[in-house]
Amino acid sequence: MKRVFSSITDGRGFDLVLVGVPFTFLLALSGLPLLYNILMSFQEVDMFSLGSVIRPFVGFRNYLDLFTQPETVSILKNTIVFVVGSITGQFLVGFALALFFWINFPGASWLRGLFLVSWVMPGLVVGAIWNWILSGDFGVLNFLLQQTGLMSSNIFWRSDPNFSLWAVILANIWLGTSFNMILLATGLSAIPADLYEAAEMDGANAWQRFWTITLPMMRSTIGAIIALGLIFTLQQFDLFAAITDGGPNNSSNVAQYWAWDLSFRQYDFGKGATISVIMTVFVMFAATVYVRSTRHEVRG
Amino acid sequence: MTHQIELSAVNKYYGAYHALKDIDLSIPKGSFVALVGPSGCGKSTLLRSLAGLETISSGDLVIAGKRMNGVPPRKRDLAMVFQSYALYPHMTVEQNLTYSLKINGVRKAERKRAAADVAAITGLSNLLHRYPRELSGGQRQRVAMSRAIIRNPQAFLFDEPLSNLDAALRVHMRKEIRALHDRLGATSVYVTHDQVEAMTMADHVVVMRNGVIEQQGKPLDLYDRPTNRFVAGFIGSPAMNFIPARSTPDGRALVLDLAEPQTVPFDCPLPAERALIVGIRPEHLTLAGADAAGFKVGVAAVETTGAVTFITTATTPEIVVALNGRAAVMAGETIRLTFAGGDVHLFDAETDQRIK
Repeated sequence: MKRVFSSITDGRGFDLVLVGVPFTFLLALSGLPLLYNILMSFQEVDMFSLGSVIRPFVGFRNYLDLFTQPETVSILKNTIVFVVGSITGQFLVGFALALFFWINFPGASWLRGLFLVSWVMPGLVVGAIWNWILSGDFGVLNFLLQQTGLMSSNIFWRSDPNFSLWAVILANIWLGTSFNMILLATGLSAIPADLYEAAEMDGANAWQRFWTITLPMMRSTIGAIIALGLIFTLQQFDLFAAITDGGPNNSSNVAQYWAWDLSFRQYDFGKGATISVIMTVFVMFAATVYVRSTRHEVRG
Repeated sequence: MTHQIELSAVNKYYGAYHALKDIDLSIPKGSFVALVGPSGCGKSTLLRSLAGLETISSGDLVIAGKRMNGVPPRKRDLAMVFQSYALYPHMTVEQNLTYSLKINGVRKAERKRAAADVAAITGLSNLLHRYPRELSGGQRQRVAMSRAIIRNPQAFLFDEPLSNLDAALRVHMRKEIRALHDRLGATSVYVTHDQVEAMTMADHVVVMRNGVIEQQGKPLDLYDRPTNRFVAGFIGSPAMNFIPARSTPDGRALVLDLAEPQTVPFDCPLPAERALIVGIRPEHLTLAGADAAGFKVGVAAVETTGAVTFITTATTPEIVVALNGRAAVMAGETIRLTFAGGDVHLFDAETDQRIK
């Protein structure tokens, strides 16, 4: 007993306690719900069986039912468009801003700090603000598009099925850009300045330096940010709730919002869990990419 | 002789800070020039101005007959070896070497051949497919050198390339860089804070301080005839001893201002009754025989390396004596030192300029 105690105060036991506390925490608050979710996806769950763990086992019926529903394919498509569109937009705008502030003009760091405003705002607030911007009859966006001559008539962003998903993507790009910018700026500043000087002496112009030094040196940062972006966009819920509510007619519905809708509005907990499981697989894939890209950091 | 690099009246300001002051420097083709001085003296700024990584504020910079003041680094055709080596970490040794060729559109087969040729010279043939992180410090240094050599540039610029290596390797690379310079017939400008490197490698040494060239010339000329007290103290190791002194009214003896004034006869004529700084190198002081002229000092410490014995005196200022071989001297003793008049450097006590 004394040996166990001394090992905890001074030795291996201490390490195990340190690892054990967060591990227990993770298991209780993430691991068990995850397993419970997987279990539910193979059960028939309704309002009345919600309290019990042992429920009728239905095998893959939830999965099969899900894929025979007419809206499934379009919602999955929407999810892909939302993820790809958001990540591309956030990354490109974020990278452009990171490069812009990297020039380090007077006031650059101050201005860069201001950009973080979008990141600290709650999604619902961002959604409410974008509702005004996107508004069909008095929105600023429509005003700008018409005044610059790009559009001749008003677009009803939130209620037109052709635009509703893009309305949310637009807001999400705004929301996620600053996070991308900060991570990419950190990656940029980690590249030693003498590499650029060496490349300059070797005859490379600015464009060549960007392609041969900046981009390859940023590879791990870019891999990490795209993986994180995938995880964050698959978690994006507030904006859908605030801007389109998945509509009209599911035209802006995505998997994560649908899972919530099925579980907590239609009380079809089994199907809601099923969608979550499918999404978990995707997020696990993204997490693997993230871990791998941060492991292979190239720093000379 | 043609001049590969010519600087005339070059000035460089960082805001109000005057980093380079009226620099005039001509570097003949094929010569090895060392810029040396304490940190902050402007030697690196001067090198970076040559490279184009800094722009000069005024004056003329001519490389291979062309005025290069506003020309960007990539069009100056100079190769630089950085202190940190600045190897591209995401490229193999071969890709590092051939980067400049690739940028200039040289074909792949030709690039590979060029890399193999240079690697054979610098002993990197077996390492071409390694990444920089898989190399030792010395090997990285070689890659940095090879990356410069492969370009066959107008001149090589070295920015303290050996300062990250251990002492033994540094001595070895010193010879290797010089041998390479001779073999390529290159023009080299070499920045270092280590006067031994400058003395051993260069044909022409430029000593700088506070943005000014204090003295330039052949290494041994700087050693034999430093123009001022700063250069005298900077060149030579261990550093020259400086003793405040006053010449006697007849100009035939020096009164050294040690703890107690001591008069030493001097065989060369001196300006009469003048405040002086006597500079004498440790290796030029010897123990005086019983009947010879000399001055008395107490011994504070004796260090011996076997080949040389260093004696530090208990005087103010303290004097270092380097004696060849071994000496039967112990700390706490009093000894008598002497020197030959021809080995003494005299500086004005106020201006620190050489007067003899």
